[in-house]
Parts: sequence; structure tokens; C-alpha cells
Amino acid sequence: MIDLQANRSSGSQRTIFVCHGTGCVSGKAFEIREALEKYVAELGLEGVKVDFTGCHGFCQQGPIAVVEPEGIFYTYVSIDDVPEIVQSHLRDGKPVERLFYKDPVTGEAVPRYQDINFYRKQHRIILRNCGRINPERIEDYIAVGGYQSLQKVLSELTPEQVIDEVKRSGLRGRGGAGFPTGQKWQFCRNAPGSQKYMICNADEGDPGAFMDRSTMEGDPHTVIEGMAIAACAIGASEGYIYIRAEYPLAVKRVRLAVQQAEEKGFLGENILDSGFNLTIHIKEGAGAFVCGEETALMASIEGRRGMPRSRPPFPAQSGLWGKPSNINNVKTLASVPVIIAKGADWYAQIGTEKSKGTAVFALTGKIANSGLVEVPMGIPLHEIIYDIGGGIPGGKRFKAVQTGGPSGGCLPTSYLNKPVDYESLAEAGSIMGSGGMVVLDEDTCMVDVARYFLSFTQSESCGKCVPCRLGTKQMLDILENICNGKGKMGDIDLLLELAGEVKAGSLCGLGQTAPNPVLTTIRYFRDEYEEHIKKHHCRAAVCRGLVTAPCSHICPAGVDVPRYIRFIAQGKPAEAVAVIREKIPFPAVCGLVCFHPCEAKCRRDQLDEAVAIRMLKRFAAEHDTGLWKQNVKVAPATGKRVAIVGSGPAGLTAGYYLARLGHSVTVFEALPEPGGMMRVGIPSYRLPKDILKAEIIEIEDIGVEIRTNTKVDSVESLLEAGYDAIFLAMGAHQGLKIGVEGEDSPRVKECVDFLRDVNLGKKVEVGNRVAVIGGGNAAVDSARTALRLGAKEVSIVYRRTSAEMPASPEEVEEALKEGVQIQYLLAPSRIINHDNWLDLECVRMELGQMDASGRRRPEPIKGSEFSMGFDTIVAAIGQRPDIHPKFNLALGRGNVIEVDPDTLAISREGVFAGGDVVSGPASVIQAIADGRQAAISIDKYLGGSGVIDETLAPPEGEVAPLEEAEEKHRLHMPTLPVEQRLSGFSQVELGYSQQMAIEEANRCLRCDLEERE
Amino acid sequence: MDEIRLTIDGQQVEARKGMTVLEAAQAADIYIPTLCSDPDLEPYGGCRLCVVEIENMRGLPTACTTPATDGMVVHTDTPAVNDVRRTVVELLIADHPSDCLSCPKNQQCDLQKIAAYLGITEQRFPKTTRVLPVDTSNPFFDYDPNRCIQCAKCVRTCNEITGVGAIDLAYRGYASIVTTFGGRLLIDSICQSCGECVAHCPVGALAAKDARQPVREVETTCPYCGVGCQINLGIRHGQVVKVIGKKEGTVNNGHLCVKGRFGITEFVHHPERLTTPLVRRNGELAEATWDEALGEVVAKLGSYDPNEVAVISSAKCTNEENYLMQKFARAVLGTNNVEHCARLCHAPTVAGLAQAFGSGAMTNSIGEIAGAGCILAIGTNTTEAHPIIGWEVKKAVRNGGKLIVANPREIDLVRYADIWLRHHPGTDVALLMGMCRVIVDEGLLDSSFIDERCENFDAFQESLKAFDLDFVEQTTGVSKERVAEAARMYATNAPATILYAMGITQHSHGTDNVIATANLAMLTGNVGKPATGVNPLRGQNNVQGACDVGALPNVYPGYQPVNNPAIQEKFEAAWGCSLPAQPGLTITEIFDAAYNGQIKAVYIMGENPVLSEPDAKHAAEALRRLEFLVVQDVFLTETAQLAHVVLPGVTFAEKDGTFTNTERRVQRIRKAIEPVGNSKPDWWITCQLGKRMRRGNGFKFAHPYQIMDEIADLTPSYGGISYDRLDDGGLQWPCPTKEHPGTPILHTTMFTRGKGLFMPLEYKPSMELPDSDYPLTLTTGRSLFHFHTGTLTRKVKGLNVFRGEELVEMNPEDALALGIADGDMVKVVSRRGEVEAKAKVTEVSPVGVVFMTFHFAESPTNQLTNPALDPKSKIPEFKVCAVRIEKAK
Repeated sequence: MIDLQANRSSGSQRTIFVCHGTGCVSGKAFEIREALEKYVAELGLEGVKVDFTGCHGFCQQGPIAVVEPEGIFYTYVSIDDVPEIVQSHLRDGKPVERLFYKDPVTGEAVPRYQDINFYRKQHRIILRNCGRINPERIEDYIAVGGYQSLQKVLSELTPEQVIDEVKRSGLRGRGGAGFPTGQKWQFCRNAPGSQKYMICNADEGDPGAFMDRSTMEGDPHTVIEGMAIAACAIGASEGYIYIRAEYPLAVKRVRLAVQQAEEKGFLGENILDSGFNLTIHIKEGAGAFVCGEETALMASIEGRRGMPRSRPPFPAQSGLWGKPSNINNVKTLASVPVIIAKGADWYAQIGTEKSKGTAVFALTGKIANSGLVEVPMGIPLHEIIYDIGGGIPGGKRFKAVQTGGPSGGCLPTSYLNKPVDYESLAEAGSIMGSGGMVVLDEDTCMVDVARYFLSFTQSESCGKCVPCRLGTKQMLDILENICNGKGKMGDIDLLLELAGEVKAGSLCGLGQTAPNPVLTTIRYFRDEYEEHIKKHHCRAAVCRGLVTAPCSHICPAGVDVPRYIRFIAQGKPAEAVAVIREKIPFPAVCGLVCFHPCEAKCRRDQLDEAVAIRMLKRFAAEHDTGLWKQNVKVAPATGKRVAIVGSGPAGLTAGYYLARLGHSVTVFEALPEPGGMMRVGIPSYRLPKDILKAEIIEIEDIGVEIRTNTKVDSVESLLEAGYDAIFLAMGAHQGLKIGVEGEDSPRVKECVDFLRDVNLGKKVEVGNRVAVIGGGNAAVDSARTALRLGAKEVSIVYRRTSAEMPASPEEVEEALKEGVQIQYLLAPSRIINHDNWLDLECVRMELGQMDASGRRRPEPIKGSEFSMGFDTIVAAIGQRPDIHPKFNLALGRGNVIEVDPDTLAISREGVFAGGDVVSGPASVIQAIADGRQAAISIDKYLGGSGVIDETLAPPEGEVAPLEEAEEKHRLHMPTLPVEQRLSGFSQVELGYSQQMAIEEANRCLRCDLEERE
Repeated sequence: MDEIRLTIDGQQVEARKGMTVLEAAQAADIYIPTLCSDPDLEPYGGCRLCVVEIENMRGLPTACTTPATDGMVVHTDTPAVNDVRRTVVELLIADHPSDCLSCPKNQQCDLQKIAAYLGITEQRFPKTTRVLPVDTSNPFFDYDPNRCIQCAKCVRTCNEITGVGAIDLAYRGYASIVTTFGGRLLIDSICQSCGECVAHCPVGALAAKDARQPVREVETTCPYCGVGCQINLGIRHGQVVKVIGKKEGTVNNGHLCVKGRFGITEFVHHPERLTTPLVRRNGELAEATWDEALGEVVAKLGSYDPNEVAVISSAKCTNEENYLMQKFARAVLGTNNVEHCARLCHAPTVAGLAQAFGSGAMTNSIGEIAGAGCILAIGTNTTEAHPIIGWEVKKAVRNGGKLIVANPREIDLVRYADIWLRHHPGTDVALLMGMCRVIVDEGLLDSSFIDERCENFDAFQESLKAFDLDFVEQTTGVSKERVAEAARMYATNAPATILYAMGITQHSHGTDNVIATANLAMLTGNVGKPATGVNPLRGQNNVQGACDVGALPNVYPGYQPVNNPAIQEKFEAAWGCSLPAQPGLTITEIFDAAYNGQIKAVYIMGENPVLSEPDAKHAAEALRRLEFLVVQDVFLTETAQLAHVVLPGVTFAEKDGTFTNTERRVQRIRKAIEPVGNSKPDWWITCQLGKRMRRGNGFKFAHPYQIMDEIADLTPSYGGISYDRLDDGGLQWPCPTKEHPGTPILHTTMFTRGKGLFMPLEYKPSMELPDSDYPLTLTTGRSLFHFHTGTLTRKVKGLNVFRGEELVEMNPEDALALGIADGDMVKVVSRRGEVEAKAKVTEVSPVGVVFMTFHFAESPTNQLTNPALDPKSKIPEFKVCAVRIEKAK
């Protein structure tokens, strides 16, 4: 009898464990351990040991080393770090701080394992020993209680009792299907036959999933112990571990573990004197995804082509070589020893009512902390993604999470609050699967995701059944067509039909689940499919068939970015402006204030940093010579008259194009100055008035008449005046109320009014202390404006955290530089008016569940109210259109005008609407895009062709695509020193010099010239 | 309770336990479409067309894989079911070429039929058809992967039915395809061209090159080997255009080998068919009328003393024709010199098994083989010589049975064997007695069987003393351990059966070999039970029948000895003449006697001894020395070219009759077309001669069924056989009475001779062993692609593509020593002659042994073989002779 309590060798003061999981090994963990051993020996350090463990599941941070007993967790360790670790930490007891884990959210260094958020919220049962014991020493496993469960099973329990215990624990198959494990064992135990087989399914084939691999690499004995218990329960004397050949390290460790277990008498004949025999064979799979399916797996063990067969008969009756067989996943088996040791009741209290215990996920994709995550069943998705995973890196927006491997479904933000368990996932159209969890952000195209996963399952289909082999092929063809801009309107319905039939008609789980990514992406992201089909638009700018250069593709106005950047690089800014003006009449404005979605999609960003597109545009506009005017063609007068209400970017853009097409255009502007929000919303330190004015004059020069101080309050009045078509582009100029007691005070200003007054030159007093409520760009503009009006202290009060803040980060950064303070997680609850000041009563907030925008909803902390005194409070919590009731229009949520999204037509003939009045507060470039669409629609309505594009720039000549780019960060834009800023409204950004502009322009990767297949 | 009841579409249906839902539905005439299911094959569930809804079952289970259970409620025609079916067919059509009119399977195509059944006229899906190269390399059929629907019937056929495994599915997803190993052309693969895949392919992916469709079909029996496969000849415009395996209730279950499927139509209608009698005038064979030719034969044959004439009958001809031939010899010519080629193949079987068991035929039936617990296949290259039985052997292995192959050569079956005993040629007695010795020594024998059912065990046991395992190892070249292992495997895996063929019989001690197998079977009690026994696999289609009906010099029909006066009297009475009492000459003796001038005239029906006799040069010379030679055949064979009169017989397709296959099953052949030209059925010709020579007495038969009636009257074992009983699968003799159902297994309660007779044996070496002049051992055998002397198969172009010439198989070691490379022309020289052929250097042949077939007239192997005879059965020693090999100049 073996002493199960034999302790592993102790007595050393410090042990450094180098992770020897596959990920870290590929980062030279073997060499690091050798170097550590060598160096420790060279220094003759006594009491210092060098050892290794299996995978910690945090491979992204690897190679990992942990120093015990302190639990110091080193990340990204390299051989070069070895001397410092040994000298400073192992010898002198001073941990090496630079190798600590850095929290992706807070940026703080976290020295200890147990304090890292990634681990803190995990509940490790299956992975309990991974990263904690040396997987190549059975003694280490025994020392942490290993094989005690087997001993208990063999000496104290009958097989029925074992099965009963597992049944009561509620353990379900962790391979994905979630079938109750105890019941499965029972079936096999009940099946007649003297020869039975116990099979461990370690054919983990999901791309990106490595739960089973890490378990086998980190704790192979737990799998063997689980198998032995299962084999005893079902009455099998032979076992197979079917393991991917692509997992050489796992294969090696499992082989070694089997050998050690045999030597110790935990396997073989008459195990622990119980009369129970078990031989375990290891069968390496040949890399077929479908061999994860149990009947295909058994065929493969038998040496046949790995193809599934229909059930019944179930493996429990007729499995491997026709004998009763039981197959469990690695994770299921790894759970078994713990259940036996701690009892079914203990296990059953973890998780949800129907899904007990823990689940392991391979968290990957657009996530700050990627790695293996073991959590209790039922944990909300957002906890995994945000608390453990650290959220989405790069400030990107969460879009969806794909669970269950390639045949799982994609769940949108609305599911972030849902618990993760078998039932909830199935209800949402996804599956638990083997535990893949891929996080997708705004840069992911959902059609492309569906195509990608389907191309995987299609190519891994064994080909046996028609729906799977040919049905998925047809589906894939349709998806490829859609991604290539060849989609047809009926395609979505055909996909849905076919997906249903493939699911219903396929033989095995592969085909039955392969359509899931398609079904869920259509269910939750149908608009993306429709955009691809109808508008040939991929909002994530990834579909190669649609997108040449992502920057141009994503630009609402479709500005040909790479072409003008090349002109800039050639020192031809005027030509560059001509290119820009082919799509927009406001190059200079956009060069200053565009929120540049182009840069967010710039491919250069994946290499180092996005090209500074907006700044290059500004440079071009500043160096324009008017070259473009040579090529502008104004069509002969059509005799048609168009009225445009509002002179913002939407109205003026529409006016410009309609005038060029020969229509007579009149723009009605209620305010004394034209330009809309560009004029009255954006402070002049960002957009100087003269620059805007110059561009408006160009528009007037084409023939657009602008009538300022003219408020239009009905469509009828315009129709009566004889206009043939009307474009409503009044913007969103009404600020929203905070909705708290006391906000009616004159000291409480609404930000739209506030900024308008300042921009129109009215005298505005703000006092010394100003609070701005809100987190958008208007809030930041208000705060910075207040500073320039002489306020000494300006605070932005925002109810969420910086991560959720919608204001553009560069604006926030400048505001902070200028001294604006931002108070997060704070919401106003009351405003108390005093004679000379206001008391702003606030309540502290905490983030709760996810809201529909994918951000966590702030919730007040009761009793946390407190007050701050201010002279002025600016409410910047949003705007909406202010539409006179006499317009008598159908309005949607947020008081916006409802239009046909394709034509911008409203229900009244000849009347169109666009810009913020339709979309709610958006952006200049979006308004310009609407103006373009309005011009097209109106021209068509008036009998024209609707072609507004023009060729303004000279031909480019031959340009070679870039061969290869070296890493080079974007050039910093010079800004006005902070001390010079606050005295007035001078421009803060100073612009690129010619040399800088050329250098920056040369960073462009010229995606539009890329060779296509 | 085997009967179950289920409800299908509201209809109460009775079924048997073990049936699938599909089978239950089919039994009740409820149609469920399917493309991948086949009664010959294991359920597959791939095409998904047979999906149904079953109450209390999730999803849409496939009827073909779901076992029917009592009380099950099945719906086969619901919207969900039809959605999936329509989608499946639409998907297949989208992936299928639309050139139906030019497809060889047009109107035979299951996909077409099912699309029509489902009423599919519109296509939701665009075409995805691939353009892959069509494999036209096989001479008989083409493989067009573009038409393939991947039902895998072909793949499963090649595994489950034939066990060849030449094709499989490869790759995954849409790229998956049926292909050979390594993607080779079929002709370069291990495909044996049986065409089973073609027969099972539901679409035009695998289609015969000859796409002519027959107008009608005639059921008959394959004329090649002794398996006796039932076939349907497809006829149109009086021509045989297709051969189809007959499924129900046949030995072959519809399966056919390459010769049966593709090797018949061409020879039946071959331009070289003899269409008119020929008579030698001025040294040349010239066309003659039947009257002239028959007159010539009557005049000449009638002029000799009975001792001066001999008749060689034919194992290729019907029972009726052989009966008439021996009757003609005995009653008309007055001689017992009637013989046929059985002497050259299974005379030791008849002699040995008759001695041991009392009956010289296969003890059990072909259909039992797949159920054997252990098969000892000794001296049989089953997959080449008896392909359909070879498949059954492989099926037994797939069913978990053990297989012991004893063969000096690494034949195909070795791939499937648990144990391969590679003994030296001619050492079978030592090997088998060694196994007996192990069984006795280790107490693995079946004592009660021996005590109750057998006799003379002690003497036998005594003789085992000579076979201690050291001696056995030394003699056979098989290690002691191997011999013991094989003995244990055979003795402990009941039921065990022994299969053997000419590797056992064609030796100068062939009868001893046969007796050794009988000893082994009795020792373990493996006789008289299903899937046991001693099973000689007969070579020619009707060699069993030719023996049964008395085409042997020593026995009348039914193995009734000619030298038994009571029997003689019975036949004299029946035939109305006096009959010779002395047994006649055996075939080899006939040739010796002809050579010596003692025999002056010979009448040969359907035999080609110039190629098939041992020491064939001697045999040919003997024939040349004859004063008068009549040859009756369908082609002008090498033997016919020596004849004075050539009588054109017909093939099996042009006449009625019966063949008796290797498992003693009497089966019909039926006239499917009119005789070609002026050829005549052989029975008609013999009747004509008989009538002319005996003035019509005893040869007035208008139809072969009348001949069978006479056979039945005179032959106890055939007593119950008549044509009206043969329409449904034939009858296995003994079938003594009209009511008797036939006998699938012999010796079930007692041996034919009463008790099984153990016989002591001693090891006798072969007659001619290698020496310094002739250092190699030549052993002979057959190729899958040819039959016997090639008279028929050499006429089939495609078969010659597979094997167009003789190959001398020799071990690389021997080849190296002689400086011979694969493909070199070599000269093989024995004491009796020399033959040139191409060398095939292969490890299939053991060191010191060379192998040749005897199919090729250009390389007449039997000019080398040794005519030394087994004293008991008079079989020559084809399997062992000494040769040397020289590089041909």
C-alpha cells in the first residue's frame, strides 16, 4: 500500500516554478528553467529550488514563473531576466517589479497570483492543480490528495454508489452536450457484456480552445484518476485516451502519467488489492475535428475513417468494437475525483439548478486577458468578459461573444447579463460546447464571422451526410457571395431555410450545430447582412470583397483616403484636397473636427498606430491652392427649386451638390450665422470661424442661396412658395434636461445654449467654479469653453467610468491637460439654489448590469449623497431635434424624423430629411453623408440621374503598393502650450508642417493597391 | 418474441425483431426513399433521405439505422421529413451534372427516381458541380467522381462484401471524394475489378463502359468456377449484353467476380466461335456439314476395339451432357475409358474423403463460412480461384472469426490472417499431422466426438508419434511455436472449418493430404455441424457434377463402382446392353496409352489437355499419335487444332441443363439465346452419335430435363432431383427422394460410411525435389482474371488488360542470384521441357519457389510439370516440380 499522504519534498525556502505548458514552452520556458537552474547553482544558493508546473491558463502573459511561497507571479519572462530574478528575488528576497502582471484596466502592477483579477473571480475545480504541481511527478499529485478518491471508490464504495454520487452531484458532460454523466455511466453499467471500454475524449478540436490540453499538460493524473473511477463504475477493464496528435506535450505527460500510475499500482492488474483491473491505452488522433464526436472517435480508434454513425445503438450498448463503451470529456473526468473527495452535495451547490459545478472556457479574441477561465456555472457573461477578461482592449466596443467553438452561436450585448449555463446558452441559440469563448468587438464583421466559422465546419465535415457536406457548402457559398458584395436579397431567407434543414437533417452534432453561427448572427445582426447585400457596406470594414481600403470604406462620405494621402506624400496638398472634395465640400472643417472613423479601422493600427488621417486632411486643406475648382462643373439650370431647412453640414452639403446639378437651392437658417452646429456647437479653439466661413462661401459661390435669421415652421409654407423639393436638416439643437430638482435656475445652463451663446459672441458669465454634467464631446467642449471664459475650477461629473465615456479620448486628454477635472461614477441628484452659488447634490454610482449599449448601467449607491458648490452648472447630457409642431411629421424615439433609410425620403412626397434631425446628435461627417444622400435622392426625384460624384483631382499615375512596412508610430501633432490656451479661443492643434505631413503620409499602407486574388 | 408490431403512417405493420424501421416499412410496402441503404450493406445513414418522425424520439431519425421496436409509431410523410428530403435532393442535384441524357445510368438512376418521386422541379441552389477527371482506366467500367453522390455504397461494397478495400472516402468537407489509396487510377490500385461497386452505385458515378441495357433477363448459372454463382443474362436482340448477379436465395447473394460480371458476354459472341463442324481433309481442317462430321465420327469410332478408345468428358459441360458422355462410352463404345479433368484437380478428394467420411465432397455449404469461428485455409488461393468464397472468408474475419492461412505463397488472404503458416510446398501432411499432434498432446481434442462418431483413432494416434514438432519444423519450415499456435487456434475456436483446394490435392501424396485434413477435423469434432467440416473447393463450374454423374473410369453415376456386379447389372438393365466390368483408364493413363499406341482413338468434349495435362508436351505428342481424335468445343483450342473432326458445341448461354457446384448444389442453366451459327448443344451432339451408333436406342432425348430424369432414376443421391424442383435455388445432394429438401451439411448424425475413419499417415516428400541441376521448386496456380487454359477468358480483352501474359513469380533473393530483374524474359526449364515467360520479382513467392499459372498458351506451363502420380487417386503432381531458370536471350 502506498502512503498517499507522502509530502512532496519540502524544506526549501523558495521555489520558482516555471510554467511548462505548451504556450510557455513555445516561449522558451524549457530554456528559462535550465538557465535558472544553472544560475542558481552558480551562485550556490541553498534552499532555492527550480521546478516547473503545467499550464496556468494565462498563456497570453507567458512565459510565466511563480515564486512560492510568496506567490509572486512573473509574466513575459525571458532568459535575459534570469539573473535579475535569481539575484534580486531568489537571493535577496526583492521581487522584480517590472515583471509583475499589469492590470489592463487600471494599469497597476499586481505582484501576487491571488490578487490578479483574472484569477480572483475564477473557481478552479477542474484546473485546481494546473500551475500548482509538477505534472510529471505522480508524488506531487498524491501530495495534494491525488488518487485518494480512487482508493475510496475501490475500498468503500460499490459501483452503484459511485454512480449515484456522480448523479447526485449533477455533473454533466463537459464535452459540450451536457448529458448527465452519472446517467451515462449507469447506461453503460447496465448494458450486458463482459468486455466494456472507458474512453477519454481528449480530441479537442475547436480552434482556439485548449482547456483539455492544459488539463492534461498540467494535471494528467486527475484525468487518469477520473477515468479509473469511471471504469470501475461502469465495469470496464480497458480504457483509451483519444488525444490529438497535435498535442505532443500533453501526449508525453499523459503517457508518463499512465506509466507512473501503473508503477504505483493505480493502474494495471488488481488495483489497490481491490481485484479491479484497468489498462489504459493512448491513441493519438489524426487531426480530424469530427473525431471529437464519440462514434467517429471510436471508429478512429478502431482504425477506420473517423466518421460518425447514427445512434441508436448508443455507445453504452454498442460502442468500441461493438462493446458497451462510455466516453467522457477530459474536463468531466477531471471533475470526478473532486466530487468523490468532497461529495456530491458540495459539488451540487456550485452552479445553477440545472447546470452544476464549474465550466472552463478558453477566453480569446478581442479581450484584454485571454486564457483559460474556470467559473461556476451560471456566472453572467459580463463578469467573465469584463471582470476576469478585463474587457475589450484598445477602447473598442464589444460587439458579440461566440461560445461553444465553431458551431456555437454569437450572442450580442443584450446577452451580457445572461448566466452562462447549458440552458441559457441554448435558449439564446448558442451552445456551451467544449468551452470556446471568443470575444468580438466592433472591428469584427458578423457576416464574416459566420463565414469563417462555417468554412471551418464545412472543411471539417466528414462528408458522410448530405446536409452537412453539401448544405454547409451552399451556405458557405452564399456567405462568401454576401461578403464579396454578390449577395442577393433572398439570400438571408435561403440561409435561414437551409440552416434549419441542415440542423434537422444532419447525422451528427457537427452538422446539427454548424449553422449556429449563421443563425445567431442573422438573428442578432441581421442589419449587417442587409448592409452587405443592399449597400455593399461592411461596417467593420473587413470583408475583402467589399473593402479595398478600410478607411475609405468606413468613411460615411466615402472619401478616397489612400489616394489623397499619396498626394500629400508626394508634396501635392492641392491635389489631395481635390480628392477630398470629390466627396465632401468641407475638407478643412473635417480636417479639424471629424471624429475620423477612418483611423479606427486603419490597418496600420494593427502594426503600430493608425495613420493620422484627419491631421493630414487638415494639412492638405491648409495648403490648398484651389486646384480643384478647375474641374468643378456646374450643370445648366434645371428650373427646379429646392428648399433646404438648416444650414448645417447636412443642409449645406445637399445644397452644394444640388446646386452643382443645376437646381436652384435656397437654404433657410434660423440663426444669424450659417453652419449649424459647426458654427454654434463647436468651440472655435477647435474650429476657427473663418475657416468654416471660407468653406461656406465656396458653397455659396456655386449658387446656393442662404437665408439666415429665417425660421421655417412648416413644410406647407415652402410648398406654397413653389419649391419642388424640400430637405429638412434642422439638426438637434435642443438640450435635454437633467431631470433633477432645482435645475431651472439661471445658473444652470443647457450646453447647446451655452456653446451657441459663446460661439455667437454673446457675453456669458460662468463664475469661478463650473460643473459640467455628462460625458460626451459636448460636455468636454463645455468644460474647456468654461475654462476659457475664466472659470478657475471646472469639473465634469460623469455617472460611469472613463471606459464608458463617449467623448473622444484626444479631447478628454487635452481637457485634462488644461486642468479640467473629471469625476467618475457620480450623478446629480438635486440642485440647491443659493443666492450666489449652487449646491450640486450628487450620488455615487456603481456599475451594475449591462445595458443595451453594451455598457454597464450605473446604479446609485444609496446613502452616498454629498454636495459640491458651483457657480454654474452646464447640463450636457444630450440633445434632440427641436421640431415645430406645425411640421406635423412622424417622429421617432428621441424626437427624430422618420425616413426611409435608403433614400431619406419621408412619407410626404418631395420631402426628405437628414442629419442630426434624423439620426439624433451624430457627427459632421455623418451629416455630410446624409447631405450627399439627400442630394442624390432629390436629384432623382427631380428627374436627374442622381450622380453627384465628380472627378476633381488629376490622374494619379503609376503607384506601387508598399512592399513591407517597418514599425513607426504616428507623428505627434504639435499643440498650443496649455498656458497660452486659456486666455482665449485660439486653435489648440497647430497642424503638421510639410515635412511632417509627408512623413506621416508615407506611413499609409496603401491598402487600396493591394494585389487581389 | 420475435414478432413486433409498429404503426407506420397509421397503418399497423408486423415486423421481426432486429429489423430496421426501413425494413419494416419495406416489408409492408411503404415506400421510403433512400440512396445509401442497401440490403447487402450495413446501415449507413448518410444520405438522410429516409428520415422519419418517430413518436417519443428526438429529431428526425433515419429509418435505415433505427431498429424497429414493438409499439413504435412512425410517420414517414410529414412536412419536416419532406423538407429535409427535398433539401437533400436539391443539394445533390445542385452538386450533380445535369447531363442525364448522356449518362450511362439514365433512367436507371436512383437520384432521378427520387427527385421525380419528390416532385422536384425547381432548384433553390446554384450549381456547385466540380470538374474532376474521370477515371477511365478500368477496361470494364468508368468512375466519374463528378457524378458521385458519396452515398459510399461503393466503398462499403468494397469493404463489406468483397473485403478488397480498394476504395475509400478521402479528405473532408466538400473536398471529400471516393478514391483509391494515394489517389491512383483504379487500374493501378488493388481494385480487382469485380464491379460490385458498379452494381451498387445508385447513380452514374460508377458505370460499365458497355451501357447497353437488356430487354429481358434469363436466370442461369455462371460458367466459370465451382462456386456456381447465379446470374441473370441480360438479352437484347438475341445477344447477351449484360450479366447481373441474382440476389435472392443464391450462393452469391447477387455478388459476382470480375470474370462472372465482365468475362461472359464477350466470349459468347466472340468472332472466333466455332460455328460449323470441321473435318480434317488432306491434313487441313475443312468446314463440313453436321451429317458429314457425325458420319465420320460414327464410322471411325465404331471401328476400334473398346480397349482402343477413350472418351474425355468435360467439367465445363452440364450434368446431362456428362451423363450422356459416360453412357456413350460405356453403352455404345463398350469401354470404361471415360474420364475428365477432375482427375487433375480433386481425385484425391474423392478418394480421400470417401475413405475417411464415405463421401468425397464438400461437407458444408458456402453460406456457413462467414459464421466460422476459425477457418483453416490450406492450399487454396481462395480470393483468386474462388473469389466469392474468398469474400465469405473475409466476412468471417470481419465477424470476428480467426483465420489461419497455410500457403507457401503470400497470397491475398494472408493480409486478413491471424496466423500464416508458410510451409514448404509438399509438406502439408507434416504440417497437419503436427497440428494434430499438438492438439492431442495438449488435450484439445474432442474425445466424445472421437469416441462416439469415429474409429481407428488409436492407430492414428500411434502414427502421430512420427510427427514430433522438431521434425515438423524441420520438414515444413514453420516454427514449432507457429504450428502449435495454429493448432490451438483451430482447436479452440469452434466452429472451425477447413477450406482447401488444389494446393492439397495436386501432389503425389494428394490423397494423404486430404486424409490429414479429415483427421484434423474429426479430432476436434469439427464435422457435421454448421460452419465446420472439410471443404474442398472445386475448380470448374461442374467438376462436382461431372464426377457425380459418372464421368470417371471406375464408377457409374452416384459413385457406384463399375466392378460391382450388382451395380453393373442395374445399369445393364437400365441401358439395355452389356457393360464392361473392368474400370477404365485414368486421364494420365489414357495419355500414356495413347502415347504407347494402345489407345488409338479419343473423343474429347470441352477439354484442352494440350495445356492442362502435366508434362503437356508428352500429352500433345500422345494426341498427335492417335489415329483418330474428335474434339468438341466452342473454340478451336490448342487441342482441337490436332483433331480429325471438330464438333462445334455451344456455350452455357445457348442450352439448358444443370451444373453442380462445389457445395453439391445442383443448379439450372437456361437457354438464353439461340446457338451461334451452326453450333449445337453438346447433349444434342452426343445424342446424335448415340442414336447413329446404336440406332436410336437410349439416346432419344428431346430436352435435357429428360436426361436428368434418367440420372435421378439411376443415381440415389440425385434421386429426388428434377428440373421442376430446381427453379428456386437448386438442391444440394444427397437428395434421394422427391420430397427430400437436400442436404446442406453432410455427416450430421452419422458419417456416410457410418463412422469417421481416422487414418495413420506418414510423411512422403514430393517426387521431384530441387537439386543442383534444377534448384528451384515450381508450383502452379491460377490468376483471378483467367480461367483454366484461358479458352474463354483470353477472349475477353479487358481481362487481358489485367493479366495478358504468363508471369514467373520469383523471390527477389533468387532473382538477384540469377541476375534477373522484374520484367525480364526468363526461360524456365524442367526435365520435361522449357517455357519462356516474363519474370515477376516478388516476395509473394518464398525463396527457392517459383510460381506460374497455366492460362497462357504462349507459355505452356504444364510442359514443365511432373506427371508423377498419387498412387491412390492417380492425380499428377502439378504443385511441385524441380526447375531451373535462365535469363532468356
